[in-house]
Amino acid sequence: MRHHGRFAAAVALTTTAAVALAGCTKKNDTDDGTGAGSGSTYKVAFVPKLQGVPYFEAMNAGGKKAADELGDVQWLYQGPTQADAAAQADIVRSYIQQKVDVLIVAPNDPDSMAPLLQQAKSAGIHVATADTDAPNSAREVFVNQASTEGIGQGLTDALMTAMGGKGKYAIVSCGQTAENLNSWIKVQRAYTQEKYPQAQIVDVVYAGEDQAKATQMATDLMNAHPDLTGLVGECTSSAPGVAQAVRDAGKIGKVFTVGLGTPQAMKPYLADKSSSASILWDVENLGYLTAWAGEQLAAGKQFQATNKVSDAMPAVEYDSSSKVLLLGPPLTITGENVDDFNY
Amino acid sequence: MSTTAVDRHGRPDAGPPPGAPVPPRSRSRASVLPSPMTGQEMVLVAVVAALWVVLGLTTPAFLTAGSLQPLLVATAPIALVGVGMTIVIITGGIDVSVGAAIMVCSVVTAKVLVTDEVNLAVAVLLSVAVGGLLGLINGVLIAYGRVHAIIITFGTANLFLFAGLQIFGSSTVNGIPNTLDFFGRGPGGRTWGVPHAFLLTVLVTALAWWYLRHAAGGRHFFAVGGDAHAARLAGVRVQRRVLLAYLTTGLLVGLASCFTIAQGTSTLDQSVGTGKELAVIAAVVIGGTSIMGGRGSVLGTLLGALLVQSVSSGVTQLGWRSQLSDLFVGIFIIVAVGADLLRARARRSR
Repeated sequence: MRHHGRFAAAVALTTTAAVALAGCTKKNDTDDGTGAGSGSTYKVAFVPKLQGVPYFEAMNAGGKKAADELGDVQWLYQGPTQADAAAQADIVRSYIQQKVDVLIVAPNDPDSMAPLLQQAKSAGIHVATADTDAPNSAREVFVNQASTEGIGQGLTDALMTAMGGKGKYAIVSCGQTAENLNSWIKVQRAYTQEKYPQAQIVDVVYAGEDQAKATQMATDLMNAHPDLTGLVGECTSSAPGVAQAVRDAGKIGKVFTVGLGTPQAMKPYLADKSSSASILWDVENLGYLTAWAGEQLAAGKQFQATNKVSDAMPAVEYDSSSKVLLLGPPLTITGENVDDFNY
Repeated sequence: MSTTAVDRHGRPDAGPPPGAPVPPRSRSRASVLPSPMTGQEMVLVAVVAALWVVLGLTTPAFLTAGSLQPLLVATAPIALVGVGMTIVIITGGIDVSVGAAIMVCSVVTAKVLVTDEVNLAVAVLLSVAVGGLLGLINGVLIAYGRVHAIIITFGTANLFLFAGLQIFGSSTVNGIPNTLDFFGRGPGGRTWGVPHAFLLTVLVTALAWWYLRHAAGGRHFFAVGGDAHAARLAGVRVQRRVLLAYLTTGLLVGLASCFTIAQGTSTLDQSVGTGKELAVIAAVVIGGTSIMGGRGSVLGTLLGALLVQSVSSGVTQLGWRSQLSDLFVGIFIIVAVGADLLRARARRSR
């Protein structure tokens, strides 16, 4: 029995070690900076909320593209495999130890990220946020994909166009503490009340990142409100989820949906009209802008009120009071332009 | 329960004192089996029924086909994996890798559906085979490695997660064809109004219920969980039973993954399966299975899963805040475990 116990302990240890090693290998794989080789290059590190999802991979692609075109940026990209604040903090710490020139984070938890950004700044590293802000931190700039108003109003306008400017609708959101989702919902509430007085938000529910749960909740919402004519999927997992629920219930054309979905995931639903539109931004351009902003910080250049970043982004606005670079107005993705995006 | 011949620890009861009249053989054979329905299960039936009636009266459409059919479909994958988990927990083990295993089965099946456009039968067989393989890995390590199941399955959960993420390869699986709609929420997932996914789950549960109750092999699972050492001395092949429990769970995970794909959208993302191990264990515990092993029932697990999903749907349909369903599930778990402890105490003091 004792020997068996020891053997088993050895098995367990080996297993753990294998897991650890495997994890390391994976991290190293994706750690290949593709910046210009020689000369004075700036190490710009971006830490997404999680890696391996199309959204942040598209940002990574944009960042790499910028590094290739700018020539003086070495783009580093690594995130946790789950949207976990602690795992993300470990990666940020490792970049601080590597003494990168610029550290840009899309924080899972803005509050717990703030002290780490301060620590990086004290170590002489330029710090910034992209995609999600940490407003009460030492960050020098926030690369914002779209204004809160832009997203909230874009979603509302797209849904109201489908619903004919009136009727009851509900929102299937995701993480209950997700700062950006909650701020969009706040805009949606205010904007609906102000601009579409005949429309009404009857409920907001939270499904986490679980697609099946989002779909089930959308089904329950339609049952709870037989006169419901609209649904909003507030994140990339619930946007196709609400459309799937409408399709399953056979209510296409009676209940309209919009959401923040990635183009390829929304394509089948845009095709059969279970989704009327998806509101998003050009994620690759956001990655490009992030890398560009890193270069500017590293080179000690000031942002202008309007910046020419690339041919695709001729006039990116910068607000010096809030230190925010704004990518531009959100995109409306429909059946017509969905094939322009490969993510 | 006083008529049970073997107590929780697998020790035979003292039996009637010498000289007492020996009961007729047929009566003693019947008394070996626990009653067909435990107290916990009857309570659960009453609670679910009461909940449905209340929700039917307070919401516009809870007790309509358009609401109950999707509810049963959503219950199916948790209840199905719960059958395997119940057997595992009866043997005194636990399997915390089922969430990650669901991810692996789902991504493999979804990818094959997209690239090779296989038919329904092939997709299901593939998913079940992958699940069976993962279950076999758990079973072999636990049965022959003799480390506690929670450690092994925690390890394999991480391995499966790594494998699943590698197969996903930095992107979601897009454009999954509607082959698996047979198990879905839509009209293609029903025959005469009964969702296929739920029907299959009920069949598997019934089969497992009969086997666990009436077959010698089924009773051996209880013996292993009651006292593995005593079971071994009594001639039970303990390691084989343990291996079978995890293998069964793996096979059911494979089928449940097909349900999961069918219930999701035409895109599969990396969050699939996340946290499902806790949802399954919650259903098992609420169903009255003792987390200490040796006692439990798959019927209770099905009712537990149904109760949890009914509460979740009810909270949404009532327009209450989403997090209240977490509160209710938490209360159910604590009440169920408390009831189990009270029953165990009552048995001991007898």
